[in-house]
Amino acid sequence: MKKSNLKQEIIPVIFLTFIVCVSVIFLYATNSVTEEYIENTKNEAVKAMLSEQFTDMDDYSYDEKLDYYTVFLNNEIVGYAFVAVASGYGGPIELFVALESNFLQDEEIIIHGISVVSHSETPGLGEKIIEASFSDQFNGININDVALSKDGGKIDAISGATISSSAVVETVFKTVKEKADIIRENFNLNNEGEF
Amino acid sequence: MKEIIENLKNGIIKSNPVLILLLGLCPTLAVSTSIDNAFGMTAAVLFVLISSNIIVSLIRNYTPQRVRIPVFIVIIATLVTIVDLTMQAFLPSLSKSLGIFIPLIVVNCIILGRAEAFASKNKVPNAIMDALGMGIGFGIAITIISFFRQILGTGNLNVFGNEIFQAPGLSENPMPIFILPMGAFLVISILLATLRYSGVIKSG
Repeated sequence: MKKSNLKQEIIPVIFLTFIVCVSVIFLYATNSVTEEYIENTKNEAVKAMLSEQFTDMDDYSYDEKLDYYTVFLNNEIVGYAFVAVASGYGGPIELFVALESNFLQDEEIIIHGISVVSHSETPGLGEKIIEASFSDQFNGININDVALSKDGGKIDAISGATISSSAVVETVFKTVKEKADIIRENFNLNNEGEF
Repeated sequence: MKEIIENLKNGIIKSNPVLILLLGLCPTLAVSTSIDNAFGMTAAVLFVLISSNIIVSLIRNYTPQRVRIPVFIVIIATLVTIVDLTMQAFLPSLSKSLGIFIPLIVVNCIILGRAEAFASKNKVPNAIMDALGMGIGFGIAITIISFFRQILGTGNLNVFGNEIFQAPGLSENPMPIFILPMGAFLVISILLATLRYSGVIKSG
């Protein structure tokens, strides 16, 4: 009697373990097939975003530790770019921010342009952050002018979508300052060795 | 043979998962913003539903009663992960717009419901037909809902980048409320009410 009880306890465990093992094998196989393609799509998406901002770029590199992209033309640095996340009205707004390379020498930080990678803002209102009429305002702007026009800056908010607009503006202002310092520091560190 | 056709028809009409059983409403409401999403979701659900029904039906005589639900969940989760990875690799834009709702197919009650209520008690051919019927039933419902939501919400009907139809007046002044979650509730409730009132579907 006791023996059959044990059997009743053990069989379900063995069966479930077996199913999980089979499932792991299938998942491993799928992952090893798709991994390369997923990586490729991600790289292509990054490249598309970079070349949208820097139309004449021919190469880029990615700093994994500090999380930014360096854009090259004929082996010279033409700009930098990074991804910033703002908290919008309907959820996170992922922004791709591109900087001119001049801030390495002077104090002025000039934004090359921004583009929205993903967002979940209200259609018809906050969604307009993806439109050129809003995002083009950032082209070639000095970082100190990045504020909504009602706060003395040069960016006009989208009417009816103040939260989305100010989320973008504030995040761009904050992250650009932070990132520019990091990039500048890293650049100087790398070049000390060379000279 | 007659029984098998009956199984197929059951899911499409008599117990349509969305319109009659009101199952799987979460993905139905969330991704029915455009016809493209509806087709993508239907394809994913159809694949997972058919595969899980086949597997569950194959192992039905060996599955211990006490662990059947965990076993079903593991099978479904594996299939969903395969679909998710494949979509990310080969259909990145669709994968992006369906987002979290692909992984959430794991807890879609249509799939677990059919595994538990049908596939675990029936032979493989019947289980396949049942999955096919349920999947098509789900697809029809989500396509109808997304058709109305897309036209009313954006004024255009775009299917895979081809513009099929432009509603006069609506395309200049669309009603974005229908793209918002609230619009999904409006459309599905009006649809259900109309179908019941007209007697196309019967409650109970």
